[in-house]
Amino acid sequence: MSVIKSNPPAKGETLSRVPATDSIYRFLSSVRFTMLVLPFIAASCVLGTLVKQQATPEEYLAQFSDSTYAILRFLRITDVFHAPWFLLLIGLFVVNLVFCTIDRLSLLLRSAGEKKLPNEKTLSAMSQTFLLPGKRVEDVARLFRGYKRAGVYDNGQVLEKGGIARYGIYVIHGSIIVILAGSLIGLIAGFRGSLTLAKGEMRDAVLKRGAAQATIPLGFAIRCDDFKVAFYPSGEPKDYVSRIAVIDHGHPVKEAEVRVNHPLTYKGTSIYQASYGSNPVFRFSVAGKEVSLIQGSVYKEDGLTMMVMRFEKSIHNFGPGVQIAYVEGKESKASWFLKDVPRLREKEIMGVPVRLDDVREDFFTGLEIAHDPGVWVVWVGFAMILCGLFVNFFFYYRRVYLLQTSSGVLVAGVSPRNKDAFKQEFEKWRDRLNGNK
Amino acid sequence: MEISSKILGVVTLLYLSLFFIHLLYFATKKEGALKIGWLVLYVTFGLHSVGMIARWVESYSPWTWMSWLSLPQPNGPGHAPLSNYYESLIFFAWCIALILIIMRKKLNAPVISMCALLGALFFIGLASLSPSVDRRIQPLIPALQSNWLHVHVFTCFIAYASFAISFLCGLFYLVKGRGIIPTAERLEEINYQSVMVGFPMLSAGILTGAVWAHYAWGSYWTWDPKETWSLITWIVYALFLHARFARGWKGTKIAVLSIVGFGSVIFTYFGVNFVLSGLHSYGAS
Repeated sequence: MSVIKSNPPAKGETLSRVPATDSIYRFLSSVRFTMLVLPFIAASCVLGTLVKQQATPEEYLAQFSDSTYAILRFLRITDVFHAPWFLLLIGLFVVNLVFCTIDRLSLLLRSAGEKKLPNEKTLSAMSQTFLLPGKRVEDVARLFRGYKRAGVYDNGQVLEKGGIARYGIYVIHGSIIVILAGSLIGLIAGFRGSLTLAKGEMRDAVLKRGAAQATIPLGFAIRCDDFKVAFYPSGEPKDYVSRIAVIDHGHPVKEAEVRVNHPLTYKGTSIYQASYGSNPVFRFSVAGKEVSLIQGSVYKEDGLTMMVMRFEKSIHNFGPGVQIAYVEGKESKASWFLKDVPRLREKEIMGVPVRLDDVREDFFTGLEIAHDPGVWVVWVGFAMILCGLFVNFFFYYRRVYLLQTSSGVLVAGVSPRNKDAFKQEFEKWRDRLNGNK
Repeated sequence: MEISSKILGVVTLLYLSLFFIHLLYFATKKEGALKIGWLVLYVTFGLHSVGMIARWVESYSPWTWMSWLSLPQPNGPGHAPLSNYYESLIFFAWCIALILIIMRKKLNAPVISMCALLGALFFIGLASLSPSVDRRIQPLIPALQSNWLHVHVFTCFIAYASFAISFLCGLFYLVKGRGIIPTAERLEEINYQSVMVGFPMLSAGILTGAVWAHYAWGSYWTWDPKETWSLITWIVYALFLHARFARGWKGTKIAVLSIVGFGSVIFTYFGVNFVLSGLHSYGAS
């Protein structure tokens, strides 16, 4: 981010002679193009948050009409961030970034060697300038501590400081390309899926994200040995932990507790604690016999047919309740059993005494499985961008010109980026150098 | 009522008094008023910090301090006051005060400090008075139980506060007022300086958020609405910097960009929580 204007036409160059490919390259590498592409990317992002992404057709049809949904789907607005036109925008952005960086960096490296000393008239016109009468350039230059000599001429010198700040921007731009490359690796070679496991259950494939029914084989198996959920008094979850074993070729190779924020990684595939759920089991005693039922299962014996229809954790503060459907004659009827209310936990259905003894909640764990070989590239990009930002925003480049004139040394300074701080620094130099008379 | 609420109540009054001190300065034009103003701001900031630390301490259950008894902690261990909407408003006000103190020399524009402090007063007032804000200390849900919480929230809110300063500069530039309003040149300079603080902070905020998301949700980027809106904000300020430094934009266009940018900040902070839904819904309760 220097003062270099984008593509200033060189003096004497006539635009008509420039070949077409050259002018296309110039456009693609210009900041003008950046400022065209970025707003489009931002607008796409806005679109991607206003319209629900990757939802089911039912969800869209509840919100939009059939024809609107068809248009949204055709334009891929239902999945903006994976749409070809969005990827094209990102591609154009990358092309712009690469061309622009090549262009600017070569210009900077070429000009790094040559630092011209402007004439007296130009220097006097600079915003920061003062005259030291009766001094010699060499003596003044020595007093500028921390400054490097960038150019020595017969009639004066060019000094500079904070030159590193000029390279920060290339590190930032380069790191954006590294991050995008890392995410591309993840997009091509990685996968994301989910998995639910009950205690003791083992699986070796995960459900692919977004696509129903599609599974991805893991190459190893994951077994849930234990799962625990703890709640706060307010009912919010406090902690949920799965005891996970990884089984590769029949041998348990890794065992660990997986909790939120603490994933387990095996062969580049990470296992995250994402959610949990429960399958309640209802224990009834039917005519003195113990019967365990889950939701939807049917009990049929001694002429009694019944099924668990619904389960509510709390019915009007009376505790858990289970709705049973049964067939009486040719009619189907329903009845609620409340576990914690003695009079309402027992009923006679068609002459058979039925009692709800217990509701046990068996929690199962919801795991998120991700394999992303590009993540390390992304981390490198992150480290680079932080270094680049630090250099770019906490250092600044300034240049001081010393010119021998008939009346003394003319001192002039410029800082394209941090005028305020440089003005203060420059005024300090002026006072100090004048005091040294 | 907890001690922290009482302290923050006093802090609210101090922010109000800072507003009046600035008014006094504009009425009398006495530099002394401004000096007192800065002194009061330091005291306010200190007390504000004490208030937040007190809330942090209060979030620990009393049993924690007797940990040798190994009593159960029904509400978990304590946590920094950065986890819900109330706490984020209090922290936003704190960040505004901090950014004013950091930029004291560069800022040197009482009308901007006054408006920024009014903003801080508004946010802390909203936090303490609005009936829709839950002021109770809530235990941390598992996803938030991470050390990334501190650095992520800190960097993001410092960025928000710097962009608030940039927004004020843009606004005053467009008003083109005279008298107490600094010159157009000063406003532009302060505007760039605040974006130069805000942009790297926002970048760091997004990066720390991405690293945290990788550990908590299994992916460093999921296009969650909050993530996406922070990227939109980042793009707007990237445009601002390129327009300024590479294209040499000045004046009205830059002022408009800083206003658009802050609009995006506000939407990232409030809009996403209340209008859109996503993984990042902690701030809304």
